[in-house]
Amino acid sequence: MIALLRSGFSARRSRHGLWGGPLVIVVALLVILTLGTDQFATRENLFNLVAQAMPLFIAAIGQMFVILVGGLDLSIGSVISFSTAILSLDGPAVVLIPAVFLLAGLVGLINGLVITRLNVHPIIATLAMQYILLGITRFLRPVSGGEIPQVVIAAVQGSVFGVPLPLFWGLIAIGLAAKILYGSRFGLHLFGIGGGVAAGMEDAARTYGIRVDRNIVLAYVTCSLFAALAGAFLAGRIVSGDPNVGLLFELDAITAVAIGGTQLSGGVGSLHGTVLGAIVMVLLANGMNMANVSPFVQTAIKGGLLLAIVGLQSRKKMGL
Amino acid sequence: MANVLSHPIWRRLAAVPPAYYVFGLLLLTLWLARPNMLNPNVLGIFVRQVVPLGILVLGQLLVMRVRSIDLSGGGVILLINYIITSRTFPEASGLTFVIMALAIGGAVGLLNGYMVAKRRVSAVIVTLAVSIILVGLVQFLSSGKPPGDVPKYMNQIFDIKYGPLPLPVLFWLACTGVMWLVMQQSVYGRYVEAVGESAEAAAFSGVPVERTVVMAHVLAGLIAAVAALVQTGSIAVGSVRVGLDLPILAVAATILGGVVFGRGEGGVWGPFFGVLSFALLFVVMTVFGIDEPGKLIAQGLIILMAAILYGWRSKRG
Amino acid sequence: MFDGEPACLIEMQSISKAFGHSKVLRNVTLSLRSGSVHALMGENGAGKSTLMKILAGVHRSDNGRILKDGKLLQLSSPREALAAGISTVFQEHSLLPNLTIAENMFLGREPLKRGGGLDRRRMRAETAAALAELGLKLEPDQLVSTLTIAERQFVEIAHGIKADASVLILDEPTAALNAADVEVLNRSIRQLRAEGRAIVYISHRMDEIFDICDEVTVLKDGQYVGTRAIKDVTPNGLIAMMVGRELSDLFPARTASIGKPVLELAGFCATPKARPFDLTLHQGEILGLAGLEGQGQQRIMRALIGRYLPAGGTLRLYGQTLKFPGAANGIRAMARLGLGFVPEDRKDEGLMLGLSVAANLVIALHAEQPAFARAKGMKAVVQRMTDALRIKTASPTTPVASLSGGNQQKVLLGRYLARDVKILMIEEPTRGVDIGAKSEIYALLRDFAKAGGAVLVTSRETVELIGLCDRLAVIHGDTVVAELPAASATEHSILAAALTAEGVAA
Repeated sequence: MIALLRSGFSARRSRHGLWGGPLVIVVALLVILTLGTDQFATRENLFNLVAQAMPLFIAAIGQMFVILVGGLDLSIGSVISFSTAILSLDGPAVVLIPAVFLLAGLVGLINGLVITRLNVHPIIATLAMQYILLGITRFLRPVSGGEIPQVVIAAVQGSVFGVPLPLFWGLIAIGLAAKILYGSRFGLHLFGIGGGVAAGMEDAARTYGIRVDRNIVLAYVTCSLFAALAGAFLAGRIVSGDPNVGLLFELDAITAVAIGGTQLSGGVGSLHGTVLGAIVMVLLANGMNMANVSPFVQTAIKGGLLLAIVGLQSRKKMGL
Repeated sequence: MANVLSHPIWRRLAAVPPAYYVFGLLLLTLWLARPNMLNPNVLGIFVRQVVPLGILVLGQLLVMRVRSIDLSGGGVILLINYIITSRTFPEASGLTFVIMALAIGGAVGLLNGYMVAKRRVSAVIVTLAVSIILVGLVQFLSSGKPPGDVPKYMNQIFDIKYGPLPLPVLFWLACTGVMWLVMQQSVYGRYVEAVGESAEAAAFSGVPVERTVVMAHVLAGLIAAVAALVQTGSIAVGSVRVGLDLPILAVAATILGGVVFGRGEGGVWGPFFGVLSFALLFVVMTVFGIDEPGKLIAQGLIILMAAILYGWRSKRG
Repeated sequence: MFDGEPACLIEMQSISKAFGHSKVLRNVTLSLRSGSVHALMGENGAGKSTLMKILAGVHRSDNGRILKDGKLLQLSSPREALAAGISTVFQEHSLLPNLTIAENMFLGREPLKRGGGLDRRRMRAETAAALAELGLKLEPDQLVSTLTIAERQFVEIAHGIKADASVLILDEPTAALNAADVEVLNRSIRQLRAEGRAIVYISHRMDEIFDICDEVTVLKDGQYVGTRAIKDVTPNGLIAMMVGRELSDLFPARTASIGKPVLELAGFCATPKARPFDLTLHQGEILGLAGLEGQGQQRIMRALIGRYLPAGGTLRLYGQTLKFPGAANGIRAMARLGLGFVPEDRKDEGLMLGLSVAANLVIALHAEQPAFARAKGMKAVVQRMTDALRIKTASPTTPVASLSGGNQQKVLLGRYLARDVKILMIEEPTRGVDIGAKSEIYALLRDFAKAGGAVLVTSRETVELIGLCDRLAVIHGDTVVAELPAASATEHSILAAALTAEGVAA
């Protein structure tokens, strides 16, 4: 146990990244918030917190897959908005819900193929995709509205045995991600590919017979699917389709992943780090809300946080 | 058939930046659909709308040539617009505003350049983060409400016309000319060319690579400040959302104009026509009744197509 | 060839391979017996690595075939080679640093549990067994990035054993090992031999080869020279097999007048473990850093421009003591002092391929100017350089990528000559250059020295250094092991100095 904790603070000993830092910050924030205010530790606030945290939580987990192979997905904000828009259309739930995931998977597939086959930089490809999807979303749902299938709303709002339903979403997301990342060949291959990319030995993974391109495409598909899950959750919460709800989500997700110790250059990172990073951001937001900090300032602070965190990660390449 | 396609003339045509074709095509479309719009006065007004974008593009093409990117221009425009319209400095003269704007743009550019060149952070993330900070700051200061009016003299200057040619358009042409001179005639232009082509080879030749990249971002910041001043002159009242979509449009126009990460085949005039193409594109779209969603999709598709084209070409070449 | 011996495990017949225009291997044969340790020797560029990469499935040969136990092998990927029982431990380690030992061992062929998930328990157990077999005290869950180079090498060997390889290819296995590790390695090799496996041992270390190997094959310039039993040869005999090329008359006559020292290294230590040495470069002379590849020549050269931080020593330039340049501004600072550095990789480090000949020629001159000054066209300079160097190009505005290798190299050189450097440091002056251009480049360098310049050059072609230089410093183990006048040097004497020296600290 001690060894496990120590590994979180040493960059050398573990490929899980420096998740010791966010762990300390989470604990510190929990202490500060519980002792510093009376509203934090209330059932109402905590329930609300979990519900508010879930979309970022899920989106960050998805983003982690792509970052581990040294890429980035800037389109998840639009995927989230798009998902809420689809669910808000007229149609039976049995059609709409699978449609959301199918379409999100398609988006991920296109992203991955454009990046690996057509040689386009991940940032450009996903940025372009974000605008295309945004346009499609605004076309489907120009202003927020529409009706979300009951089944989705019921799955999001309320609680079971006193435990808020959103928490289950989170646990499912973590469970799925853990199985994929740590329990499957695909997950190991992602680390292998990312490690090669980060160390400048891009062909290393290939010499082991790993199908690099295919795995990268799958990573983008996974990321989009998690984004769709986050979008579905959001739809259940705001009970409408909203073309703007996903704006800036991608940067928040990247910040959460980076705070959690995952390196943007690839190959180093962890699920628990990402989870902790997302919790840090959510606790910060909660704390700032309780301190009556203007939402505009909060946005600015998040930008500053992102800048600081990525400024600490070093890489050789200059520019894009 | 294959022999026809491999004729050198196709390669020369393929080397021309897409912006020229797109511009020509759109002009033709407009002429066929609404020939009465093709008179100089109307066109002059449309072109004047895109002058802030056109100026911003000058900075973007510089930065993209050294394989970086600048998405913070929108934040700079918003901040400068706020400072001018919020009457924070009620006694300030036009000159003071200009100096303040340049100082802000330069400072933002310096921060961007430092993070990109020295700390080696991804340029997209840095400039987006900076943009978020600036936007958050402005929206907080303005409490989300639009600030005051733009000084009258700025609107007046913006409205000056020489016949059908609006002053802002002339100004844009002059700025483009200056940038062209810098890229073609100055030593710095050679540095940019070298670093964009191969940073390693440039370093071994003695070119100050990091300094070149920092300077590119600083210049882009200054240019964004100039764009901000023009943009402010174009509206009557301050806004909390002005200019935010410009940086990504600038990327699209630049790529369309043949300047893509490290490659500068489009020069300065390719992106110029890229901007004009977008101006026409929006007009044509409005004429055909396609509105905002269509514009967004068009933006994204153009970036994607152009990037694919260059990705494909560099793979072969 | 050998009577009563077990049949050949591996036979490589008539293997030829060319990369573009350069023929790396021509009709090479190699026979490996099971239960033997077979040394593979040859100079830089002899083709040893390429031959083994073909056996390992990394490259495919243009001609010839490979037989295992008499059956034809089709090796089109490293995975297939591994499946055929051929395992390699290359010099460039391909272990992924961010994975554990066990994960590296099984990457690409991970065992799965019944449910479809990774069977990490089995991975761990089998890895532990393989490590124990080699007597290694390493845990399967250790990250490769925490291992020393020696440990990583052993892990790669364990990987080969784990994959039940019948052929193990070891490329310079002891490069990073100390004496104790070498003993461990030798013990493992002997055990593997006893088990009937075939081991290919690529190395330059004579004492090790004579210690552990049974037979040796020598390659020269991509061709097969011969195979001998180790008990039938001597180190000198092997060296004789590796060298012996005709010195062509590509080279201009050497100048007699050597001037005062322009660059002096005193007590220079390339790495903490290397022996310090002194080296002096004089005006008017061409000094070559000879010896086998990768023995420190590049480290020494690049320390002078800040691309490598030496472990110690002093630098004097024109009699003035200087600090070794730093990474950020090293090249610019040294350029201002009249030092030009020509990197070896024309494509990635030297030329800006998409730009014109003119742009590439004058960029170093531009780099001297203040940034916002007017850039002079420098047409006269371009013309002067193109004429003086006889650069064949349709026009100065042609992209340099479309020039031939020789002309490209001339453009690269021209850049520094245009800047009027006093000291020229060149890595691989004629790599990928045709014969005609080679002799032109040699003449240029000699003229440069005659006019008062000084040249420091490294090259993998020893013959080139002998013909071109006035003096040779033989580098081995990151230090100078011998200094010879080039006029009386031979390939044999240089190689002997390198291979039989005690330059390396154990």
